[in-house]
Amino acid sequence: MHPSSFEYFAPTKMKEALELLSKYGEEAKIMAGGQSLIPLLKLRIAAYSYIIDISRVEGLNKIRETGDFLEIGALTTVNELEENELVKEKYRILHEAAVQIADPLVRNRGTVGGNISHGDPSNDLPAVAIATKAKLEIVGKKGKRLVDADSFITDSFTTSLEEGEILGKILLPIPKVSSGGCYIKQKKSAGDFSVAAVAVNLVLAEDETIKSAGIGLTSVAPKPTRANKAERYIEGKKIYDSVAREAARIIVSEAEPSTDFYGSADYKRKVLGRIAEEAINLAFERGLVR
Amino acid sequence: MPTINWNDRELEYDSSRFVKGTGHFVDDIKIQGMLFMTVLRSPYARARIISLKGGISSKDLGAKIASVGEGASEGEASSVEPIFASGFVNYVGQPVAAVFAEDRYKSEDLLDSVEVDYEPLKPVVTIDEALSSPPIHKGMKSNILSEAVKGQDFSDPSSPIVLEDTLENNRISTNPIEPRGLVASFEGGVLNVWASTQAVHSVKNGLAETLGLSKDKVRVMQADTGGAFGSKGGIYPEYAIASFASMKYGKPVKWIETRREHLTSTNPGRGVRGKMKIFSEKNGKITGMKGEIMVDAGAYGSGSGGFSVPFIESMMTGAYAIEKAFVTGKALLTNKVPQGPYRGAGRPEASFFIERMLDLLADEMKMDPADVRLLNMSDKPFNSPLGMKIDAARPFFETAVRELEYRREAKLAKGVGLSFFVLVPGTYTGESARMIVKDGKIGVWLGGNSHGQGHETFIRKLINEELDVSKELVTVYRGDTSVTKDGEGAWGSRSAILIGAAIVAICKKLRTEVEKEFGSYSSESLLSRDHDEYVFDEKPFSLTSFGANLATVEIGRFGNVRVKKCNAYYDVGRALNREMVLGQIHGGMAQGIGQTLHEGLFYSEDGQLITSSISDAGVPLAEDLPNFGVKIAENRSSLPHGAKGLGEAPTIGVPTALIRAVEKASGKRLRKTPVMPEDLIE
Repeated sequence: MHPSSFEYFAPTKMKEALELLSKYGEEAKIMAGGQSLIPLLKLRIAAYSYIIDISRVEGLNKIRETGDFLEIGALTTVNELEENELVKEKYRILHEAAVQIADPLVRNRGTVGGNISHGDPSNDLPAVAIATKAKLEIVGKKGKRLVDADSFITDSFTTSLEEGEILGKILLPIPKVSSGGCYIKQKKSAGDFSVAAVAVNLVLAEDETIKSAGIGLTSVAPKPTRANKAERYIEGKKIYDSVAREAARIIVSEAEPSTDFYGSADYKRKVLGRIAEEAINLAFERGLVR
Repeated sequence: MPTINWNDRELEYDSSRFVKGTGHFVDDIKIQGMLFMTVLRSPYARARIISLKGGISSKDLGAKIASVGEGASEGEASSVEPIFASGFVNYVGQPVAAVFAEDRYKSEDLLDSVEVDYEPLKPVVTIDEALSSPPIHKGMKSNILSEAVKGQDFSDPSSPIVLEDTLENNRISTNPIEPRGLVASFEGGVLNVWASTQAVHSVKNGLAETLGLSKDKVRVMQADTGGAFGSKGGIYPEYAIASFASMKYGKPVKWIETRREHLTSTNPGRGVRGKMKIFSEKNGKITGMKGEIMVDAGAYGSGSGGFSVPFIESMMTGAYAIEKAFVTGKALLTNKVPQGPYRGAGRPEASFFIERMLDLLADEMKMDPADVRLLNMSDKPFNSPLGMKIDAARPFFETAVRELEYRREAKLAKGVGLSFFVLVPGTYTGESARMIVKDGKIGVWLGGNSHGQGHETFIRKLINEELDVSKELVTVYRGDTSVTKDGEGAWGSRSAILIGAAIVAICKKLRTEVEKEFGSYSSESLLSRDHDEYVFDEKPFSLTSFGANLATVEIGRFGNVRVKKCNAYYDVGRALNREMVLGQIHGGMAQGIGQTLHEGLFYSEDGQLITSSISDAGVPLAEDLPNFGVKIAENRSSLPHGAKGLGEAPTIGVPTALIRAVEKASGKRLRKTPVMPEDLIE
């Protein structure tokens, strides 16, 4: 199908984008890569009178380390993450998630900010943000505010962005020595959404026990979810097979998958249990490498 | 004739244009003043229409659709599909109204101008619900669209081995890369239609009958057709609506289906369940078979649901010499889009039922599946109790087992499957061709129209062989009802057989004419005169052929199946063009793998389509396919040009071999397609 008519703006300054957004309010929608929004418009599932295309806004496509954080501009494309040497080397959890998103065509246009702010429980980067305990910088007319990744997506396709706000940057804590992370995703076929996916980020103490654990889940609940109980269970422990297995069991108990086209809830739990156990073991192994 | 941006030269078949991106599909047709049509479709599987305002709808066009084309079936009057839903809607995606504007955007905007109030009713979604629910159509006594019986009933013998199972092929979308579409233009009292179709004459006859027009006032021309697989053999409500609108508004009207519309509203294939019972002696020799099949016909008889039942039944003993067989079957009405033919159109279903039982018998007997099959084959031609005539199966199968290196494969891997089948091509009622020799060149028009198979290749070859005319001088044109008086369509593995025979018949006629005039034949003599020949070649007999497939698989820890090998050994008769034969087999094998492991249309309890994107509908991807291994046997048929049927062979043979391979690898008895990952893991 074809979208209903809309007025299109392509501001180059954040200020202009914010002005347009506050002027048109709920009738306006921010578009970055358009990889989720355009299909919705074409199927006329969504219709907006004003589309504000922020892809030309300056200064929002950088990937760089500043202070304690890796700063990723919201307009960074997934492909730029995929190709970035720093990300490849030091942020494997992020890189592994990026390379598994959809297909190259989508990754070339889809942005990091869009992947997160769309609020799709099947999108991959929110779980990575949760596992790494990332912060999100939100820009509004009144200025900037920082929120935890956990509290950003509040429900399926719903975020805590207030009217007139735009997601500006994603701030990932720079990994400590002795930390390891990974992203494991199981999908039916290439380019598809996942049946289930797990992001695990572990920080190890001197004695190889887990000092801090971050576990984010994709596609197994109405929104991207932190596996709180499993994190607490493994913190302070060394990872043995039995610990990883028990942690995976807890993760499965924390998930709320629903039966849908990708499989029954029961099947998703089985898949989640297997990949969660594997992910915990893998993240731990990576953390041991100094 | 309206002015369009084609010239005569572009109407020729020349497959290189597809590679160069210069094909001419329906959507490439642009005519001054043309309107674009958008159809408002039912959002409910079943509802009463309380009120309807806007657009054109059943109050403007109250006719019902004429059932024509492949697998056309007739049911009771109340099960015939109205062009526009009238009073009630009976499937999600059923046309309710249509709107028109000068472009697609505006036309889609106009959907909002139509106001419909529905009172949703509880839909009948599954075969079981159809059996147990009151009829979905007023005026019918039940949801049975049609019933048919094949063979003689017999009392259950006291056999040492009796096996029963219920097997199913889920519904599947045909999903050609180009969806449906047409342009209709009523000018000077003639309805001109350009369509993406397998059968220009079926579209013409269907439109004439549906709209009450005289047949000589309807002309249907084929545009390049980007795949069909059975779904473009007849007419649909949208074709009648666009034609009606072109008459009403006095302007050309274009309609191009979206993918989502294709998934909800184009007749899907399969959707058949079979309850099987076989009786066997102690050694594994089957003495009798009983079957009961249920076809999910969808909401109306406009598809092929009614036709499917006796057709499937007739093939249910497969390639085996089973002396006693009795099958009953019903086509059932459900609140879903009408069922239609999909590559194989009943053949894969019948083969699935009997082949699954042969594998079950092998497991029961602890015998090799190839040996059980051999034991149940005849080394002489066999007339089945269900009315199928087949050649001697055993010699072919023995060769196939060797050619596919089945014994070796079975030792090497756990997940190995072997299948055997008879391909019954749809030769009824024959096919037409016209050949015009003029200005030293030959032009050819066909009643059955290529939708990607590349008919022009073998036609040029046959003409070259018969008349010694170089291929460059032969042009094959797209279908046009004003050029061929009659015609059937390109479906049912028939084109090489029937079009080939028609072409050869014309060539022989021309040769005789030339010999009469010039004393002897030469292509120069032929091309020096004008000729115009038309034949409708009737083939009262069916040319069956055998085929076998081998598949090997591995299963991942999440139940995802990796197809390692997918090999074929098919009797294609004389291969008119080896590359084209391989191309057909490769494409069909991809679809066979798709049906077995990925593809299906799934509906929710309230009849909503869950699989509403091409990705969800499971069309296989490159990574899902192995390198295909194909060997062909060229046992010439009795026809002068030696051809046999081919197109549907892979969609018959692959699912049965592949599901057996998955069954062996997983250790779980498998009864339906598609096999889901979760069926395979603990």
